[in-house]
Amino acid sequence: MATVRLVDIAKTIRSKNAGVNQVTFDIIFPDAPTYERVKRSGAFTRQAMASLFGIPPERISAFVEFDPANAVKFTILRSRPNGSPGDWDILGCQYYAPLMDLTLDTEPDAGA
Amino acid sequence: MKIMVSTGHLGTAPSGRESFDRGLEARPDVIAADAGSSDPGPVYLGEDITMGLFAEEELELLLTSARRLGIPMIIGSAGDTGSNRGVDQFVEIIKANAAEHRIPKFKVGYFYSEVPHAYLLDKMARGVSIDGLDGFPALTREELERTSRVVAVAGVHPFIELLDRGADVIIGGRSGDAALFAAPAIRAGLPESLAYHMGKIIECASFCAEPFMGKETVIGTVTPDEVLVTACHPDQRCTVASVSGHAMYERANPDFEYVVGGSLDMRACRYEHHDEKTTRVTGARWSPASEIRVKLEGAKKVGERFMGIAGLRDAHLVRHVDDIVRWSRESVERMFGKDGYGLFYHVFGKNGVLKELEPVKESKAHELAVVVETVAEDAALAEKVTDYAVRMFFLARIPGVKGTAGAAATTKKAMRYLPGYVWTLNHTVPVDDPMELFSVHTTEAGV
Repeated sequence: MATVRLVDIAKTIRSKNAGVNQVTFDIIFPDAPTYERVKRSGAFTRQAMASLFGIPPERISAFVEFDPANAVKFTILRSRPNGSPGDWDILGCQYYAPLMDLTLDTEPDAGA
Repeated sequence: MKIMVSTGHLGTAPSGRESFDRGLEARPDVIAADAGSSDPGPVYLGEDITMGLFAEEELELLLTSARRLGIPMIIGSAGDTGSNRGVDQFVEIIKANAAEHRIPKFKVGYFYSEVPHAYLLDKMARGVSIDGLDGFPALTREELERTSRVVAVAGVHPFIELLDRGADVIIGGRSGDAALFAAPAIRAGLPESLAYHMGKIIECASFCAEPFMGKETVIGTVTPDEVLVTACHPDQRCTVASVSGHAMYERANPDFEYVVGGSLDMRACRYEHHDEKTTRVTGARWSPASEIRVKLEGAKKVGERFMGIAGLRDAHLVRHVDDIVRWSRESVERMFGKDGYGLFYHVFGKNGVLKELEPVKESKAHELAVVVETVAEDAALAEKVTDYAVRMFFLARIPGVKGTAGAAATTKKAMRYLPGYVWTLNHTVPVDDPMELFSVHTTEAGV
């Protein structure tokens, strides 16, 4: 097994509003083998993402593996809708930052 | 049919000119742009103000280009929110530009998206449920009465109606982004599935290309069999990765897109390399809806808003920032009571962006900025609470502090900001006719 940081293997890690009351996270991998390796690692689950952000799993409103883009995607309900007093990241575009330091235990690349 | 788009939100920043000119060289059939979003928050709709400061020059660029080529220009969600005032503002800009450039007479079509309270109250009185999306409860009479403005999100229908009436330029009220691009293709008889999918992919312009660059032109081409998406900037390409990745942008479920009158099923989509700058997309399926529902947006005011900033540099105070925030809040509560205002602390350097979602509990920052945000019905109270809350950073009583001349670097005076608003409508309403909420009009511009 090898331990890798998500920021070192993902091509894109982003977050953005999906409507006014949700923020959706996209983690896009550069190719299908990397994507499959990440999926097999079991690091991306509803529970793992809830733990990372310290929220109950019920606040994760969607969790999908999107094969056409080699991407993992999940969505959280906001603590308050965007632009309400007290909300600073009105676009939700900086929520992704904690994902960058996530570490995954994966098998080495085939042939590596 | 080729649809050209140079910006994902017209008016927020200028379109890149090099890719724009290359787009024009490709002889598009339509130039279109979305000028609005719910992303900036509810205050713009509630106060009825335009956020984007570049709308005039952008409309001038699109108008002069479209008229030179003799092709339709289509704008949705005028003035950021698609309010009636935003539509009127954009129509006036078009007329002024047309006069200034002495453009030969042409027809301007426009439609309004605002929904009168009486319409919704009448629906509710007849037992129609106005259902909330994404965790919003069904609309109540009380919440509607507190709402200052409601807009409905249009589908393709008012755009097609105005094209049928011969409009050369269309200024839309609040509109679905995919719909305003799909409308001319659907009117031309092209498949709805491909037209909507093209619209969904190109609505943010160059965000569907790589490397990441905003405000650059892309062209979406719809044929009876396929969608082609082409980047126009010399350094950008629409790749299988960038286009398929964009398919899931800004939505919780990448497999379905809901528009007025139906939904797009993208589960069987295929993305293929076409040429160096172009990706080919096929396979979306269109399903007409049995019941037509239109999305509504509305906002209510919760008060006047002030902000102030306190800076902490002393390591001892930085370590005890949670205690200082608590001291400030408790001091405010002793002075003003616990109700009648909203008080928020944004501690930048610790968790100002993510708040309770921040996994880093021990900040390594050597200094912190705390933004105090207060909302109250009465502006004087909001200002006073903000001033007092910030002053309590300066006067914080933290055991062991060595500096005894002031516990924070502060600005002198609280700053007035836009009023506080919250979304009250993020709902859908069933309608008998997809045009029911949208009134279309035409006028002339040019000389």
